[in-house]
Amino acid sequence: MADVPTKTARAEWGTRFGFLMAMIGAMVGAGNIWRFPYVMGNNGGGAFVLAFLVLLFLLAVPGLMAEVALGRYTNKGVIGAFRDVVGRGGMVGLGVVVLLVNIALMSYYSPVIAWTLYYAVHSLLFTFTQPGFEAEPFMLGLFDNAALMIGLHTVVMGSIAAILALGIRRGVERIVVYAVPALVIALAVMTIRGLTLDGASEGIAFAFTIDWAFLTYSDTWIAALGQALFSTGLGWGIALTVGSYLREYDDVPLGGGVFTAIGESSIGILAALAIFPIVFAVGIEPDAGAGLAFVSLVEVFPEIPLGGLVAILFFVGFFLATFTSGLLITEVSVTTLAEETRFTRTQTVLGVCGGIWLLGLPSAYSVDILDYLDFVFGNWGLPLATLMIIGIIGWVMGPERLRLLAVNQNAGIHVGRWWNPVIKYVIPTVMLFIMAYFAWENFGTAEMIGGMLVLVLFPIIGYALMSVIEGRGEQPDTADLTGGDD
Amino acid sequence: MALTAEVIGMLAFTLLAFWGIATWSLVRTLRQEDRKVEILKHQDRMDTYSPESLAELREWIENNPNDPLADEARQQHNECVDALKHTDMHYYDWSSEEIDRLDRV
Repeated sequence: MADVPTKTARAEWGTRFGFLMAMIGAMVGAGNIWRFPYVMGNNGGGAFVLAFLVLLFLLAVPGLMAEVALGRYTNKGVIGAFRDVVGRGGMVGLGVVVLLVNIALMSYYSPVIAWTLYYAVHSLLFTFTQPGFEAEPFMLGLFDNAALMIGLHTVVMGSIAAILALGIRRGVERIVVYAVPALVIALAVMTIRGLTLDGASEGIAFAFTIDWAFLTYSDTWIAALGQALFSTGLGWGIALTVGSYLREYDDVPLGGGVFTAIGESSIGILAALAIFPIVFAVGIEPDAGAGLAFVSLVEVFPEIPLGGLVAILFFVGFFLATFTSGLLITEVSVTTLAEETRFTRTQTVLGVCGGIWLLGLPSAYSVDILDYLDFVFGNWGLPLATLMIIGIIGWVMGPERLRLLAVNQNAGIHVGRWWNPVIKYVIPTVMLFIMAYFAWENFGTAEMIGGMLVLVLFPIIGYALMSVIEGRGEQPDTADLTGGDD
Repeated sequence: MALTAEVIGMLAFTLLAFWGIATWSLVRTLRQEDRKVEILKHQDRMDTYSPESLAELREWIENNPNDPLADEARQQHNECVDALKHTDMHYYDWSSEEIDRLDRV
């Protein structure tokens, strides 16, 4: 009987490599492939790289260390981790905010994964190198075909559910240990192909020419800040969830902080090296987003030798990048709801994936709805989630306590006291600045109004929900942590 | 179009700063993992703090004896001290003199 698994038995990563690939797989997404190279090239090239690197080490590395450490320290998902820190009661609802943001994020990210799946399949069919193929009508044909999009969205969420149902080690880990290296190899081979084309050097010059004046522009720093925070997925609950499955003697700061932040950014650099030499060699203007991946690059592939094979490398790699992110974004909700309810993991997976599928239908149906949600949650929802997680570490638990009890325990590198003010003051201030900046920039627009609704309603919903569930007015059982220690 | 020295230099710096650090941290953390696995093949526990980290933990416990997490901190400190005193292989770079000077809190 002792071998019968119980609900309380908690999974662990099978290998260190599995944990590291899960972190990279979660954080490397569409933004690394279709946004980073363009932002880099248009914001001073090398100057942007320097600004980005500074902000990575100043914000993303310490922030990820904190988030992973909280997961490892509590060995729980988002809501359980918040309860361990703030005590039972309505304040646990701040963790619900993180959960709601993740579910919303995944509801419109699943159709994005669906796009990459569609293009990956067509790359394998060599559609893009067929005579008479036209990239823009092909893309618009996909976006306008609601039935096809909903079908693809269903396939994506069904695949994610099937993998997550297998569990952390047999499901997620088995996929990421192959998918992430495959993505890197695909981009590396594409880079080699691109660099051997005539005119490739113009693409390198576009991305890496240093225009020092850009370091004096606020736009450069805002772009670098957005990239450093959003690309690394800091404070979205993903790092916390992945960290909660670490084993007893596992390190946090070297793998969860330095490797994750710098490693996932390295894939953005590799994407720039893979994309721009090819784009410039063919003489097409660089672009970002769907325009880059689904029009510019698709137009380029027929023009280069072995273009059909390069298209397979790119789109299969792109699909793997988005799919592994989707897996881990969904895992955030699965982990915490499986812990907080009486449902089994399989039942929870089905419930979460079914719910996300339902919520994702509008985004699958209309690109405009997807764009709207992306703007609202990208600019206000995700920074709010980050503020919740880093906020409770900085202002309730106290960074010094977490540093001593979790960050430096079994650590591969020592993290000094400099870390405390970064977590307590710098990251929360930056997140408040980002939300205020985008509100100012978009004042009065429908997006800004939606963002403000998220900022106001999500905490209220979370607080009310957990007040009811955990008992209104009950005294927090660990609330004496409040106030921090430094 | 020939690349300028400045562009080549920036490219080299970028590759070093990103792929260099990422590769270094990946190799380092995997080697550390191998070392931990090797130690745990010979004994059932090992030291959990470096000398610097354990000293900071001890200092914090002494300065915050009534903190809600002080008991947990004491437990983690003492587990590390016990592991250092009762095992032969150590993960962190502890000298015999340093271990001799350690005591539980």
